[in-house]
Amino acid sequence: MSIQKLSSVIATIYENFPKGRFITLVVLRTTHSETIFRTEGSGEPMCSEFVQAGLEGENQKTIIQRLVMTKRKQVAPERRYGREHLRAHELLYTNIKDGSLCSLNTNAPCEMCTDCFLYGFAAGGGGAQKSRIWTEDAFSILPASDVVGDRTINAIYETGTMRDEKGNPSTALNTSEYIKPGVHFLDVVTLKDVTADELRYIIGNILFTSRYGAVSSRVGRMENQILGVFGSITELPSSLELVQATYDVLGKPLEHPLNINQLITASKQVIANWQNKRGVSVHLSEAEVTNLLTDVETNWSEAERDNFLKRLSQSYEPFRQVATEKKKAKAKGKNTLVEVES
Amino acid sequence: MSTIPFQQAKLVELYCLEPVFFASRELSDTYYTEGVIGNYALTYALGRVNSPYRLQGEATGRPTYKEDFQPIAQDFYILPASPIGRVTFRFERFNALSDAYWYAMTNNRVATAREDLPLQRQGKKPSSFRPSNFPQTGRLRMIERRNKFQTLVFGNHQLPNYIRLGKFMSKVKVNVLNEFPVTLLPEGEYQSQHYLNAADLPQQIETLAFDLISIPPAPIIKNLRFRGAAWQVGQMIVPAGLHFCGRENSNE
Repeated sequence: MSIQKLSSVIATIYENFPKGRFITLVVLRTTHSETIFRTEGSGEPMCSEFVQAGLEGENQKTIIQRLVMTKRKQVAPERRYGREHLRAHELLYTNIKDGSLCSLNTNAPCEMCTDCFLYGFAAGGGGAQKSRIWTEDAFSILPASDVVGDRTINAIYETGTMRDEKGNPSTALNTSEYIKPGVHFLDVVTLKDVTADELRYIIGNILFTSRYGAVSSRVGRMENQILGVFGSITELPSSLELVQATYDVLGKPLEHPLNINQLITASKQVIANWQNKRGVSVHLSEAEVTNLLTDVETNWSEAERDNFLKRLSQSYEPFRQVATEKKKAKAKGKNTLVEVES
Repeated sequence: MSTIPFQQAKLVELYCLEPVFFASRELSDTYYTEGVIGNYALTYALGRVNSPYRLQGEATGRPTYKEDFQPIAQDFYILPASPIGRVTFRFERFNALSDAYWYAMTNNRVATAREDLPLQRQGKKPSSFRPSNFPQTGRLRMIERRNKFQTLVFGNHQLPNYIRLGKFMSKVKVNVLNEFPVTLLPEGEYQSQHYLNAADLPQQIETLAFDLISIPPAPIIKNLRFRGAAWQVGQMIVPAGLHFCGRENSNE
């Protein structure tokens, strides 16, 4: 089992203080449909950035505009995917504030479920949990100009025309940018102090999440692949450097759509050098990565999933008990204070 | 102060690989990052001290800078990072949506309790439609990718290649540019080019003139002209006796 090979960087149980255990996942994200990533609201262009094309020679001097898939556009759908299953297996807790079931973005997280422990929360004044999943802006390999297209949107009336029964023209006519299908983003995801089951949960979320960006019920289909897994005591190079180094290896001329196998070979060649980076202790081989992914899929399978998610949730049990005891002690303290005052 | 606690200092460049965000100032629904990186943030980011993954109970009430830094203060100090050249910023819009299938944008809030909708249509105000006191939409001013900062790290320590900074744990590359011995200059009038943390200044110096960047947790001072002893690091001059929370007594 490859997960054992990572044992030196895997936590046995969740602990409150960091212990410098890093697991790095190199993820290739490929769009399988039109996709929209923008940070300035509808009608605005796709989220992009001017960066050096590569790290060496001419590429270093060439500046190109690359598409960016921002951190929050990766992690938000992925954690929601995990939460869907926590909800289905009744592993979300009720929060103390108003007794409602744990839900994102309500200022009342339950603070007890797997998602709260792993991806974090910040409740005003009542405590906070840091995320142990560090994401990075992912970059497209090709320049934005090569991989962005335009679509005209016209929402017609039920009459099938742009005019309603009274003859008023529709204003629902718009042109919007989109990212073409077959565009590749390279990405580095860093996990800190996670346990084996937490690792399986996170990898599951990454592998099984299939929709990203705006209007994800219509567009935004995306396929994620894990190209490499590292264990280390420090962080490894950034997504940007990975994309630039891969761009150098790929050579010119590059055209959309890229051959995915050439791309995978090139990025694997780049990350192979990471073994010699300072602090790296484990680099899973190709077979071991496959092995790990099989392990993840087994645990997420219909037969195992209930067992797996409950086992993971159970691992936080000591923390839940400590929290409630503390609560009681605090309440007691308050009572004494009242007595003193009276 | 006659002895120098630090034999050497490293001149370090921080290269932003991602946009960096700190809530330095908050104006309406816009959250501003100042063009500076605080030295307390850097101390945590460099792994010199750890903060827990989860804050509970009393720990949520106040930060623990003094407790955290006290054990390492004898052989480690870092200056706030000042920008190399002009800092460039970017604005981003954020909106946080719920994981429910139905939602409504109400007063600075995403309501998800669909059963409250009839009530709201009758003109009543169910609690899920009331404004919330935490931001669900807004704009962020962030330090743009590719900005460079520099700082001095006192003491002989190995530094990580990459660190994570700010609310969104943005990746930043750490390049050690140079290493200098620290020398002590006698009392006199000096001008410091570096950004300094107001809470870390030694008690003994007399500050003559400075610019202030007012940000939490402690204001940052730049262009400081002061009278007192000084440390020289290469061509750079800073007041002697900089120390984490060194001014604490005068404030309490």
